[in-house]
Amino acid sequence: MQLRSRAELSLLIFAVSVTSACGDESSAAQAPQAPTSTKKVEASPTAASRPAERDSLRLIAHDEMLPVGFPAGGSLMTLTNPYEGDKRAIGIGAQLYVAYNCIDCHGADGSGAMGPSLADGRWHFGGSAGAVFESIYQGRPDGMPQYGARISNDQIWMLTAYLRALPKKDLSTENFTGSTVERTGH
Amino acid sequence: MRAVPQKMRFFVSFVFFVVVSFAVSACGSGSEKKASTDTAAVAPAAGTTVAGTRIATPHAGPPGEWHMPAGDYANSRYSTLASITPANAANLRASWTFSTGVLRGHEGQPLVIDNTMYVITPYPNVAYAIDLAQPGQPLKWKFRPENSQQAIGRACCDVVNRGAAYADGKIFYNLLDGHTVAVDATSGRQVWRTRMGNLAKGETITMAPIVVKNRLIVGSSGGEMGVRGWIAALDIGTGREVWRAYNIGPDRDVKVGPKFKPFYAHDRGTDLGATTWPGDTWKTGGGTVWGWISYDPELNLIYHGTSNPGPWNSDQRKGDNKWTASILARDGDTGEMVWALQVTPHDLWDYDAVNENILVDLPIKGVTRKALVHFDRNGFAYTIDRATGEVILAAPYVPMNWSPGIDMQTARPRMVPEKMPAQGKKVLDICPSLEGGKNQQPAAFSPQTGLFYVPTNNLCMDFESHEVTYIAGTPFIGALAPEKGGPGGYRGEFMAWDATTGKKIWGIKEPYPVWGGALVTAGGVVFYGTLDGWFKAADARTGKVLWKFKVGSGVVGNPVTYTGPDGKQYVAIYAGLGGDMGILIAGDVAANLPYDVRERGSTLPDLARWTSWGGMLFVFSL
Repeated sequence: MQLRSRAELSLLIFAVSVTSACGDESSAAQAPQAPTSTKKVEASPTAASRPAERDSLRLIAHDEMLPVGFPAGGSLMTLTNPYEGDKRAIGIGAQLYVAYNCIDCHGADGSGAMGPSLADGRWHFGGSAGAVFESIYQGRPDGMPQYGARISNDQIWMLTAYLRALPKKDLSTENFTGSTVERTGH
Repeated sequence: MRAVPQKMRFFVSFVFFVVVSFAVSACGSGSEKKASTDTAAVAPAAGTTVAGTRIATPHAGPPGEWHMPAGDYANSRYSTLASITPANAANLRASWTFSTGVLRGHEGQPLVIDNTMYVITPYPNVAYAIDLAQPGQPLKWKFRPENSQQAIGRACCDVVNRGAAYADGKIFYNLLDGHTVAVDATSGRQVWRTRMGNLAKGETITMAPIVVKNRLIVGSSGGEMGVRGWIAALDIGTGREVWRAYNIGPDRDVKVGPKFKPFYAHDRGTDLGATTWPGDTWKTGGGTVWGWISYDPELNLIYHGTSNPGPWNSDQRKGDNKWTASILARDGDTGEMVWALQVTPHDLWDYDAVNENILVDLPIKGVTRKALVHFDRNGFAYTIDRATGEVILAAPYVPMNWSPGIDMQTARPRMVPEKMPAQGKKVLDICPSLEGGKNQQPAAFSPQTGLFYVPTNNLCMDFESHEVTYIAGTPFIGALAPEKGGPGGYRGEFMAWDATTGKKIWGIKEPYPVWGGALVTAGGVVFYGTLDGWFKAADARTGKVLWKFKVGSGVVGNPVTYTGPDGKQYVAIYAGLGGDMGILIAGDVAANLPYDVRERGSTLPDLARWTSWGGMLFVFSL
């Protein structure tokens, strides 16, 4: 999880400093711009591309949670990651994962630490791109902070792309002969 | 035993020893029978004590009860109960067990007061009052406090709790989400509840409070989250905060004033808690109080350690970073700092100094010294003058390589430059690892042997730091530090230590870090549990393992002993794998979380073969 250059680090720190008290003036001055991408955000909970039809709030589609036979009430909003599988965005997402301190809760490469593992193909609140976006955007009850209040939707999508691109290890069976991973205690 | 007069105690003890000696020589089963007839013999206090040796404060409450986290203000974890001896310990057996219903690291220990046992669980910090006088040990009550679920993700090292305090008919303890509560010991009703920490900033509370002069002493956790550490006193009747001292920042906030007389010249000066940091980095500098508190009523001093500075990336906080990684002595009434000893100035390795400070008088070079003995994370065992803060001696007690020794003129450690991390430099094989030579697992002291019984780790680490930005409520660390077994092929050792000479007397090598605490008794037996789930009794003089029992989960808690309503001596221990070792290092997670499956950690790759998560109390007797 190495940052490729000092300039990139400054870039990330600049992005973080917008919402934190510890902004570093010098690195902010060096930073040419916040991370951007060639693609636009196609959908997000705060900036839906279409206005709601009946209510001001719109239901976000989660197929596994939809009640069977429930009468459709307006159109469901589908969250789609514009960066799914985008290598450059995944690379930036990996750096954001360090810069926003995700790494210290969820471990290097999502291996798990204070917070749950993100590289096991198992998800507490759903593993679709939209569900992962929502977890980062709005936080979760066991202490996952609400990053939507701190960082751009664009960056959350890049983090989502990174997390979904992590190699999913099949850890279903533990017979104490397989590989191990380096872990940092606190 | 409470009703038995002192003279009678000597007689009972004498008869007991004769009977047991006879029974043991006659036949094995006899000793068990005889032991059960003994009404918790109390060893004669005089005569068997090493000359010049004294635990600074008496056991709290009757000898057969356990009223404080460590049994006394001195933090000795010594009991005068003597029914269980090296001669009969092999006959120990499980008497009863209790499931707490919580699968997380069960650090800490229960209290025993008036035939009632009080158990505090890890988050959500349920309190149980167990009736010891009834067959089957039914509950008297169960208290489930309001406790924010957000706390789970803000606690650095599992959602542990290290126990409760008792006074004035109330049980006091801390909630992970930063509250302190008082519960009526008879009814289980909440008497008061005070918000002490700001969870949104990452402040949690895991430590066991103590009561000093009708005030409850409480300290914060969150040294990995960029909090500013504090210790505070609450009125035990109302829960109102009486004083709060930060450990970093200007003198006014840290309560440095006219009473402050540190022993070493470099610790004197104005506002050192702020000026030894760049700019205002002290505001997010850690220095929390998540370990154990001691108190000496004669000197009226409260002793506590402070945690690591934040972040771990030391390039972001050049300077001594006072008063992190320090042992502090504060006035028992006001919290004013009286002396300070920064054992690891400008800590580079996450060496918190929160480990317990054991208050004993010791004969050192022919003179009886009022000592404070402290086994620091940094690998040195310190024998300190507890009145002044002078280091009498400091010696490595585990394999260590970052320092060749302490400069006794300044009490500062000398450094090995190759082992000093810096941003952009990966340092290999630093010993001990950030878990320290010892961590939260408290040691015990016996005046009969004059020895300290110390559960230790033998781990080393690599260390690589990177720039980190403070984001409130998230970890403020900036380093990766994978750990590995230390030299010698073992990862922990339970040892007996002579603090008058700085020498190890004996040791029991363990395959895993010994993450549970110690208990030593006047029967000459020392008890401890292991990460792989063995609860053991050893001869306090020789270190010979006398008995062991495989409990239901790894042990990270501390044994206590008490006299049951039947007059027998019991020993109680939690079994509940967790803490930093269980969850972060081993990578083993409670099996009831289907969404969290982890690859084995390389530090303890096979721990999960031997034990899994649990939440049990085990109670043993002869």
